[in-house]
Amino acid sequence: MAASSVTVDPGGRRQRRAFGHRVSGRLLGMGMLLPAAAMLTVVIIIPIVYSAVLSTAEWGLTDMNGDKPFVGFTNFERLWSDPDIRKSLINTFIFVVASVGTEVAVGFVIANALFEVKIGKRFANALILLPMMTTPVVTGLVWRYLLDPQFGLLSQVMRGAGSAGGMDWFGSQKLALPALILIDFWQWTPFCVLVLHAGMLSIPEHLFEAARIDGASRIQIIKAIMIPALVPQFLLVLLFRTMDTFRVFDTVFLLTKGGPARATETVGFFNYKTGFEYFDMGYAMAQSIMMLVAILLFSVPYIRLLRKRSMI
Amino acid sequence: MSAKVVSRQRGAGQHPARRRRRRDPWVIGCYVAVAVFLVWVLVPIVQMVLTSFKSTYAIFQPTIHLNFAPTMANYETVFGKLDFLRNVLNSCLIAGVSTAIALTLGVPAGYALCRLNIRFEEAWAQGILLARMVPAVTLMVPMYVLMSKASLLGSYWGVILAHTSFELPLVIWMMRSFFLDVPPALEEAAMIDGASRFRVFWQIAVPLTGPGISVTAILSILLSWNEFLFALVLGGRGTQTAPIAVSKFVGINIDWGGSMAAATIALVPIFVMGLAVQKFLVRGLTMGAVKE
Repeated sequence: MAASSVTVDPGGRRQRRAFGHRVSGRLLGMGMLLPAAAMLTVVIIIPIVYSAVLSTAEWGLTDMNGDKPFVGFTNFERLWSDPDIRKSLINTFIFVVASVGTEVAVGFVIANALFEVKIGKRFANALILLPMMTTPVVTGLVWRYLLDPQFGLLSQVMRGAGSAGGMDWFGSQKLALPALILIDFWQWTPFCVLVLHAGMLSIPEHLFEAARIDGASRIQIIKAIMIPALVPQFLLVLLFRTMDTFRVFDTVFLLTKGGPARATETVGFFNYKTGFEYFDMGYAMAQSIMMLVAILLFSVPYIRLLRKRSMI
Repeated sequence: MSAKVVSRQRGAGQHPARRRRRRDPWVIGCYVAVAVFLVWVLVPIVQMVLTSFKSTYAIFQPTIHLNFAPTMANYETVFGKLDFLRNVLNSCLIAGVSTAIALTLGVPAGYALCRLNIRFEEAWAQGILLARMVPAVTLMVPMYVLMSKASLLGSYWGVILAHTSFELPLVIWMMRSFFLDVPPALEEAAMIDGASRFRVFWQIAVPLTGPGISVTAILSILLSWNEFLFALVLGGRGTQTAPIAVSKFVGINIDWGGSMAAATIALVPIFVMGLAVQKFLVRGLTMGAVKE
């Protein structure tokens, strides 16, 4: 069986001399890959296909085995006209842009600073990692405490400074979304710092030497050498942070439940609410499909680009 | 060494011998910036740990209160009345079993994707990367329905299977990058000696990437340990993980002491494991893209 496939395989012929076991290797390769592929099919592809199919039906969570009348693209049409989903998309957009923007900007500044630090660098590196490891639910809880209007650290400091006390961050329509952005900023700016810093370390030292000999200032070095050399790392953090902020759920669920007055309702949370509070499963699945398409449209070009630069 | 830390010197005429380390305001500014950032990073964590040892009286002070008498009362509540240990054990079980599954399936797959010249290798690789990008929120609703049809809702297996959906792509992709770091010469030599491809994988490639496998396992455990959404939607009362138990503290009247004690307990194991693999943490979070 293995021998017969040799003759039809141009790639095999090309390298047969280098690798005598090539064809059996390929069969073995499929044998080693397929169990994993089967598992991914079960846990990812089947749920996606299932939700694509049932997003064209009208059915509720309460009668899961009842009739599921086909309603065509009605659920997708609802996506267009639903003011709640529009609101959640706007919230998500603000959340993504503000979080990713501040994280990358501050991350770049701190990465530059860390680049100059020589004393205690390993220690600093280890501490910077801690927020990334922290369970998101714990992060949310701790920040809920820090920002608590009565007993939080911030209000204690403000009272110490003679002010009346803290603001009710999560109860305010204006402050709730910024508070969630702040939490994401705390948790993920270290990620941007470390990725950009790793990129800086891989820039050849002689480039900096040459620039210094030519009398370039620090700012000029950053503009002319650092930023161009770090384009792949910037793409990388933008890709990962955008995808992760787009799917934000944990802190919203924990701290605001989308409120007050939908001020923090993101698409991920709205999707959860549609399914598990309104029991409108067909519509919830249409939302899942919409989110998936959005993520793929965004990330596929990125991944292509990064693969071309052999970044990932 | 000190020559590398060149202070601000203009003009091409600078002699290397004159490059001494001066108190460069830029470098000082950098130290200050890093120090400020570290304080910002640490304050929430320190406050969490401190509060977990505070009595209710000390917590409800209007201003900062540092000279409090430490108490273990919060930990006693969490372990005693709330049976938080059960939640920690649930987390261990789910993270352990799902990681074992992900490694069993993912290590061979990672090897196949880098060494065995399978067809459409690049398409497979990109497909698996895309699988990592699929957000849990889009899988939550269909998975809930499918799991309920398979009667897996509220069981350990439901959450374990759901967790492999993000662990397996991570393991495949990380192991692929570790296998690529192994020089092929060793494997080729063994093959010339007549070893089969599978023996080369099992007796040469796997032992050589042993540290990489441990790192991957720890990263996978971290992801599972921190995961909230699947554990919330698919788990039941008996399978509540540590993050779910922590989330239950948030309500009208939050027991700050107890919740901070539970949060501290939930973080200790992952901080210990995470710091053990700190060099690889960023690599894992970027699917192997950043090698420090």
